[in-house]
Amino acid sequence: MNIEELSVRFGAFTAVDSVTLEVPPGRVVGLVGESGSGKSSLAKAVCGLVPYAGRITGAARAQMVFQDPYASLDPRMTVGASVAEGLPRLRGQARAAEVSRLLALVSLPAELAGRYPRELSGGQRQRVAVARALGAGPDLLVADEITSALDVSVQGAVLNLVRSLRDELGLPILFISHNLAVVRYVCDEVAVLHRGRLVEHGPTEDVVGAPAHSYTRDLLNAVPRLPRP
Amino acid sequence: MRRHHPLLRRLVRFAVSLAVLVVASFAMIHLIPGDPVRASLGPAAPVELVQARTAALGLDRPLPAQFSSYVTGLLSGDLGTSFLTGEPVADVIGARLPNTLGLALLATLVALLAAVPLGMLAAVRTENGRNRGTEAAFGTATGAAVAVPEFLYAIALVTVFAVGLNLLPPAGKAGPASYVLPVLALAIGPTAMLARISRAETLRELGADYVRLARAKRLPPVSLYLRHVLPNTLTATLTLGGLLLGALIAGSVLVEYVFAWPGLGLKIVESITQKDYPVAQGVILVYGTIVLLVNLLVDVALGVLDPTSAIRES
Amino acid sequence: MPRTPSAVVGAVLVTLLVVLAVIGPPLWGEEAARIDAGAILQGGSVAHPLGTDNLGRDLLARVLVAGRYSLLLALAAALVGGVAGIVLGGLPSVLPRRAARFVTGTVNALVAFPGLLLAMFTAVVTGLGARGAVLGIGAAIAPGFARLTQTLAASVAGADYVSAARMLGVPRHRVLARHVLPNIAEPLILNLAQSLGGALLGLAGMSFLGLGVQPPSFDWGRLLFDGFGRIYVTPEVALGPAAAVALAGIGFNLLGDALAKGAARRTAPGRAASVPQPQPHPGEPEPGAALDVRELTVTFPGGVTPVRGVSLSVRPGEIVGLVGESGSGKSLTAAAVGGLVPYPGAVTYGRLLLSGRDAGALTQKELGTSLAMVFQDPMASLNPVLRVGGQLAEVARVHQGATRAQARRRAVDRLGHVRLPEPEKRARQHPHELSGGMRQRAVIAMGLMATPKLIIADESTTALDVTVQRQILRLLREVTEETGSAVLFISHDIAVVGELCDRVVVMYAGRVVEELPVDRLAGGAAHPYTRALVASLPDMDTDRSRPLASIPGRQPAPSEVGPGCAFAPRCPAATERCSASRPPLVAHGDAHRVACWEVS
Repeated sequence: MNIEELSVRFGAFTAVDSVTLEVPPGRVVGLVGESGSGKSSLAKAVCGLVPYAGRITGAARAQMVFQDPYASLDPRMTVGASVAEGLPRLRGQARAAEVSRLLALVSLPAELAGRYPRELSGGQRQRVAVARALGAGPDLLVADEITSALDVSVQGAVLNLVRSLRDELGLPILFISHNLAVVRYVCDEVAVLHRGRLVEHGPTEDVVGAPAHSYTRDLLNAVPRLPRP
Repeated sequence: MRRHHPLLRRLVRFAVSLAVLVVASFAMIHLIPGDPVRASLGPAAPVELVQARTAALGLDRPLPAQFSSYVTGLLSGDLGTSFLTGEPVADVIGARLPNTLGLALLATLVALLAAVPLGMLAAVRTENGRNRGTEAAFGTATGAAVAVPEFLYAIALVTVFAVGLNLLPPAGKAGPASYVLPVLALAIGPTAMLARISRAETLRELGADYVRLARAKRLPPVSLYLRHVLPNTLTATLTLGGLLLGALIAGSVLVEYVFAWPGLGLKIVESITQKDYPVAQGVILVYGTIVLLVNLLVDVALGVLDPTSAIRES
Repeated sequence: MPRTPSAVVGAVLVTLLVVLAVIGPPLWGEEAARIDAGAILQGGSVAHPLGTDNLGRDLLARVLVAGRYSLLLALAAALVGGVAGIVLGGLPSVLPRRAARFVTGTVNALVAFPGLLLAMFTAVVTGLGARGAVLGIGAAIAPGFARLTQTLAASVAGADYVSAARMLGVPRHRVLARHVLPNIAEPLILNLAQSLGGALLGLAGMSFLGLGVQPPSFDWGRLLFDGFGRIYVTPEVALGPAAAVALAGIGFNLLGDALAKGAARRTAPGRAASVPQPQPHPGEPEPGAALDVRELTVTFPGGVTPVRGVSLSVRPGEIVGLVGESGSGKSLTAAAVGGLVPYPGAVTYGRLLLSGRDAGALTQKELGTSLAMVFQDPMASLNPVLRVGGQLAEVARVHQGATRAQARRRAVDRLGHVRLPEPEKRARQHPHELSGGMRQRAVIAMGLMATPKLIIADESTTALDVTVQRQILRLLREVTEETGSAVLFISHDIAVVGELCDRVVVMYAGRVVEELPVDRLAGGAAHPYTRALVASLPDMDTDRSRPLASIPGRQPAPSEVGPGCAFAPRCPAATERCSASRPPLVAHGDAHRVACWEVS
């Protein structure tokens, strides 16, 4: 996926200001920034959910996974029906088999297909949302703060899933988070947004190890750390 | 959506509603099936009379011409003339409007003054599900009071206080005493409704963090409720009070009818039953304009009074 | 539906009305139509309890018979209004953009007008009679319905799952049919049922004005119209129809309220009432502690106990972190210490000492000055309508007897103390004029108006950006060092706790499972839960080549906690003993306590 000179404006307010960014195949690119940095607007633009100016290529079948696991699944539809939404051409057995395959991809048992979202934990819901997105055969997965609403003890499973999607499917992923430690763990590259502008972009080791921009340094310094003995 | 100044957006909304109203009131006469003049004069009226009246009213001219002269007339305060009496509609309305406005204003005032303390008290007494009995009683009483239409209150009040006890005048407008029953009849239902809203708003504020913090500061109850909670509930309550005023101005029809109150409501009922279309048209236009004006004023006043309304809206 | 008295009354009244509509005309139809020239315009008597009309027909029978027509007309009007409204409200989601905006604008304009006005307008156009009245009341109901449909549809259309469906390429009509309609149908049907009552009253009003039902047909409004002229002589002739209209209105309204409440509460759990009393065994107080709690328990009716025998202490100048995941009871523990547990929660404790004094014996003034609280959302923590300075000053005014000017000076001084730039100016501003970080500083300054012994910070940095969080953490540290007050810092974020605190208390399912110095958190934690929590937390040093740990299963809800160790079902080291009996919190080296059979 390639975006060139992307801008998103809401009235007089410019949320994203001519950003150019590439997500190469099989790479997880992290997009970090604080509230109001424009990272969510950029994600929505990539998925065609908000109007934008600029060029986006290679994201025609982009799929997004949202932050709130409680709002992203229709409460009136079973898990299976939600996952099958991206599979309009399949019927009956083939459809059920594909749903099972997708659930297995996100390490969920096939029995879950008959359950309703309210019976699932937050981490399980996020995995269902990922399975639904995979059903469409996406060329890009956009993960917008997908672990922010989860407890730490279940967040690991979702982060591991993101990495396995890259390793096993070679899926390019745009991973958006305010949590630098999480981004550092899952992403191959990191892009830093500040007030709608891209201030730094590079391989994770470089950005985290030797930040070039002062704002990146501020962000890194602010990350809370456990004291190590 | 583009962002404009909130006041500008409200003015635009007002202008659009006003335009809809003018078009609708103009269209009203033309929407009546058949010939309105014939309907008004009755089947026995001679054809010549109907034609003469139609021509005098300009109803035989093409529609665009009629509309432009209608609008020009409105701008100069001309609302047409009554089919029945030949009086200018503007004069008829001018004579009666103050009576209706007075009634509605008083009723709104009474409702607000009674409902806000009642609702707050109920909220404080029933917070977090304590005093379930009080909560149920409040809910049932206000629910029932809201459900009884104002004309039944009016009839009941007349029967008890005017006919039975002979304390107050049963009908007509003559001095302050004659206001008591109509104002009460109009105010009871809205009082119950506003009290419910005031309670709900108070409960919402009582659950807010700043109230938790005020409680952590151990502020005395009077300061907590009057200084912290009340101002935050007033915005919603006063908004509704304003909208209520608009609704009561156009909603006092039935009460005016019961008390033979010489207001616009009585006039519109008469004009509809007597098929005096220009008067009905004029009254509806005036009612609608007043309602829109009141709503606009409420919005503007809120914008000025509430420092956070701009934030809340966005 | 909740079985409150008003719900029962409403249900009974509506049932009676329906029964009356069914049996009324066959039973009393004949009597209602029987003309008796010898008994015209009578008042109430034994033969005619409500009197007779101008043709000598019995009014009681006429009231009983009119129920069916009144109800049918109301049904028709509600359906007309409901269908028109739903169509108008649904159109914008299928029409092209420009046409959709036109429809929305028209609906918005119509909603501004009172229903009666729309009803009158329609009545003028359609002429007098039942048809005109039904259409008129329908027209009065429609705009509200349209607005409701629009709002509901817009809220569903904005939901994440609809965005997801759009991205999957699900066509518009399928989104409407599968997601939007099912999710808005229930509130719409509920509103239709509620507007039935409104339609009945509206039609009664129209007929009462003579604009509705015309003779020889009659509904309750028409009977009232006929009886009204006679109330000065025989008031009882108006009583029948008036009572019928009033009861029907009340019935529909109470039932509608109850149904709406039922729909809103469906997800809320039911509650029984029993409060088990724990056995407090306080032991010796800890000398000199700013906060000393033993066996603190918070119980809600129904045996739900989110906080179970929590003991902890904080020394002056010490920052203690209370960590746990959502549902661990950490925030309720903080609320209980601050005396802010909401009704109907019941708090019991063996000991709750603030600076050595029983919290229950302290006056409001002492509590208000010795305890400060800082909550999560800095916007919600300040009263939006009051100026920042005034909110700070009130503590000094109420508890310290300061004059207005003194309190003001103190407020400005405290705002400066928490490094708020231009404190004079900020004191005069309203909360919305300050940024999130500034607001949290102001809240902390508010706590510092007196000299608090204990500051309780409940997720105080969770809503802030990392750079602002860093500043607030530093501020808390400085405040502690300067004032010597103790801080109880509640957070779900173990890294933040690790960075700020001196000592950490870990909670799981309402209990303290481990208590340890912060420098042992990363390498020296003993409890399997603490260890798993630390292992599942990615930080800036985590090995990126290895999968991240996570804990299978989930934390039990307060009502599901069994007799054994609550963590046992998720614990790799659990034995039979763990699920059978609960391990006590015992010493495990210096300043370290742990509740685990496998460790101790």
